[in-house]
Amino acid sequence: MGIVYAIISGKGGVGKTTTAANLGIGIAQEGKKVALVDFDLGQRNLDLMLGLENRVIFDMVHVMDDEAGLKQALIKSKHNENLYLLAASQTKDKSVLVQEKVKKLITSLREEFDYVILDAPAGIESGFEHTIMYADATIVVVNPEVSSIRDADKAIGIVDAKCQRAKDNKPVQKFLVINRINPAMVTSGDMLDSKDILEILDIDLLGKIPEDKLIVESSNTGKPVILNEKSIAGAAYKRISKRLCGESVPFQDVELFISPSLMVKIKSLFQ
Amino acid sequence: MSVFSLFNKKETSAGIAKDRLRIAISSDRNNTAYPFMTEMKADIIEVVRKYISASSVSISKETDGEVDTLGIEIIIPK
Repeated sequence: MGIVYAIISGKGGVGKTTTAANLGIGIAQEGKKVALVDFDLGQRNLDLMLGLENRVIFDMVHVMDDEAGLKQALIKSKHNENLYLLAASQTKDKSVLVQEKVKKLITSLREEFDYVILDAPAGIESGFEHTIMYADATIVVVNPEVSSIRDADKAIGIVDAKCQRAKDNKPVQKFLVINRINPAMVTSGDMLDSKDILEILDIDLLGKIPEDKLIVESSNTGKPVILNEKSIAGAAYKRISKRLCGESVPFQDVELFISPSLMVKIKSLFQ
Repeated sequence: MSVFSLFNKKETSAGIAKDRLRIAISSDRNNTAYPFMTEMKADIIEVVRKYISASSVSISKETDGEVDTLGIEIIIPK
């Protein structure tokens, strides 16, 4: 029986889908069988992030309505053979999501895969609620910025109140990923640091992702940044993936600003 | 460091963000913790009115550490 994670943020545009794509590959690289499910109905994007946009034939709504089998609809990743994508429907609206059908879909995914990662839509409407309902744990993605943190708190409140585990009086696990950290700005006091964010949201830190220009290039090409060995964001996603697979990887303080000229200065002494 | 820089110590924008967030989030949490509050209040009023003619029924919330206390105040005219 696999573990089901919902990736949520509240606010849109903070890197939820990017995080889903990277963690999907990262966990698959650890040898686990992973299914990524795009719950953002009408605004499908996870396929683009993974470079699979031309391969989508059936989507999750076809599966839920029994118009396609799960195996037919799952698209194998080009980047890792352990990773599969179930795309969101692009045409039908969110009202097609029905509690029983969502439950059935997640139950069958859980039987087939070690990890099932659900990419939630932005906002806290019904599509969001369906995504978090049957998840075992939630990964909350925020940017170190006031509106993102406030919206995340609201989304966390809904997870605590409405998910099935809460209704069953089971503990509801939530893990925080702080994305787009600019170390220089944190050092100068112009960006909230992770300690402040954790104090406000009061959930466990899963990882910190530094701002990285390579992220844009990776979404341009449909190759998640975790595949780029030069990427500092990719390395951070790799550490998070290992943590999610149970490996205790030490936290690296991406917020500590190392001046780019430091090494130049040190090396200049060698001459 | 000069003596003046001690007095001129400017609050960082991150510090301001933290303070503003704390206040905004604590007020959000009060409003969203009990989304059924309006409905529950209507039900309570209905039950109370069955027995006494109350002039107002109000529900207040207090948070103390790990527990929330909801107080129901029923005002009865003499």
